[in-house]
Amino acid sequence: MNQNQGGNDARHDDDSALSDFLASLVDYTPTIPDELVEHYLAKSGFQCPDVRLIRLVAVATQKFVTEVASDALQQCKARQSAVVKDKRDKQQKDKRLILTMEDLSKALREYGVNVKHQEYFADSPSSGMDPASKDE
Amino acid sequence: MSDGGGESGREFDRGTKRKSSDRDFPQAIAKIAVAQICESAGFQGFQQSALETLSEVVVRYIRELGKTAHTYANSACRTECNIFDIIQGLEDLASLQGFSGASDSDHCLAGSGTVREIVQYVSEAEEIPFAHSVPHFPVIRDRKQTPSFLQIGEEPPGDHIPDWLPAFPDPQTYVHSPVLNERGADPCAGNIEQARQHKKAEWSLLNLQQQLACNGLEGPSMIDPGDAAKARRAAETNPFLSAPLHFGEKGVSPVFLPAKLSNEAVVENQAGENHAVANHVSVLETFAPAIELMKSRSCESEEGRKKVLSNQRPAVQFKIEIGKKSTGTALDLSFQNKDVEKITSWFGKDNEKDDKKRRAEKILKESMKNPQELAQL
Repeated sequence: MNQNQGGNDARHDDDSALSDFLASLVDYTPTIPDELVEHYLAKSGFQCPDVRLIRLVAVATQKFVTEVASDALQQCKARQSAVVKDKRDKQQKDKRLILTMEDLSKALREYGVNVKHQEYFADSPSSGMDPASKDE
Repeated sequence: MSDGGGESGREFDRGTKRKSSDRDFPQAIAKIAVAQICESAGFQGFQQSALETLSEVVVRYIRELGKTAHTYANSACRTECNIFDIIQGLEDLASLQGFSGASDSDHCLAGSGTVREIVQYVSEAEEIPFAHSVPHFPVIRDRKQTPSFLQIGEEPPGDHIPDWLPAFPDPQTYVHSPVLNERGADPCAGNIEQARQHKKAEWSLLNLQQQLACNGLEGPSMIDPGDAAKARRAAETNPFLSAPLHFGEKGVSPVFLPAKLSNEAVVENQAGENHAVANHVSVLETFAPAIELMKSRSCESEEGRKKVLSNQRPAVQFKIEIGKKSTGTALDLSFQNKDVEKITSWFGKDNEKDDKKRRAEKILKESMKNPQELAQL
């Protein structure tokens, strides 16, 4: 009995937390626009007129992207610090953090997305160079 | 993209530039959104391919989430999704990464670890609105519907056709009018006459142009656009050659009968037609089989014509066009004074008779002189 009551309370808390969260979502504007999310959800058969759910999906996606980006950033920083061990002055200059395919593929691998990227395309004089120095 | 400053400003540019090069409008928007998120995560620049890859992954994430939620809703005998479907979808997608409480088999969905993580994220992360205002898409265009029989008040042409169906199009759009065939006894002659006169005018203009461009000696040897008789004969004998005639094209060309040649102009300057006929009869007779062979392989080309003209075609009137390069190169420019040998060799390929060849050469040489004489007229 007690357990059930405890369980019920917890469930009520969860429900209330959820409903509160959903209410707060109406104010929060996710970076991914609602129209885009609606478009792709409609393509996959998702039907819901409630804008809060759309926002929930948008926020979840944003969280996913943030996680991937932060992982990639860590990879980038780790590589930069490994490279720059010998030259101190380069560390100040080369602060540019650029999202490269290498870092991205390593970060995405943990999320189950296997991205294989070409090493280089020999179609321009700057191919095969260090990507950090290649401006784009 | 490489500058540290003005990142958001550049995103506007990047966004507008991207929209034209991406295959999809939503893809472009996704790229911008992803770029904004990555910028807030700390990146200062992106590789193009990396940004594209990540935006594709994001799009797939959204679609996967929607599909999973929809599947869960269908499993619960619903067509519309609700919050629990989404939470289940989130759990499925996050199961690879793991979330707190994933191993609990009977936990309430409302208290799922994924939801808590999202709540935490929302409370921590700063709000970054999308850089542009996005119109509602996809834009549905109003299609103009074909009015039904009822709407236009028309009676359907058959009892089996109900009147709420769209009306038939106007008969003018699909009925072939027989006007052209009712012109007279010999419609071909009329058409051919018109074509001939038209081409004559064109050729006169072309001649003028050529003569202004080239010097006198190198007046273009033009083929008379052709007589009605000739063309008609052409139409009768060879269906290919009676096909629509291009600019300056001479239908059948003088190969067939010597009688035709009397009507043929050798060199036409603007003054009028010059009929250096007699010389060419035998030449063309000689060349006839080879010409037919060549003609069957060649096709009309403006370039060939112009080349022919500018290279001082002699009086020989059959068209040497560049149908296929192999034949064209052998043929087209070979009628210069110095290239009589080429002619002989060409005919040698086709096994012409020797005496006729010799005669042909002689006549050709004579006719080389003719354009000069005629041009002086």
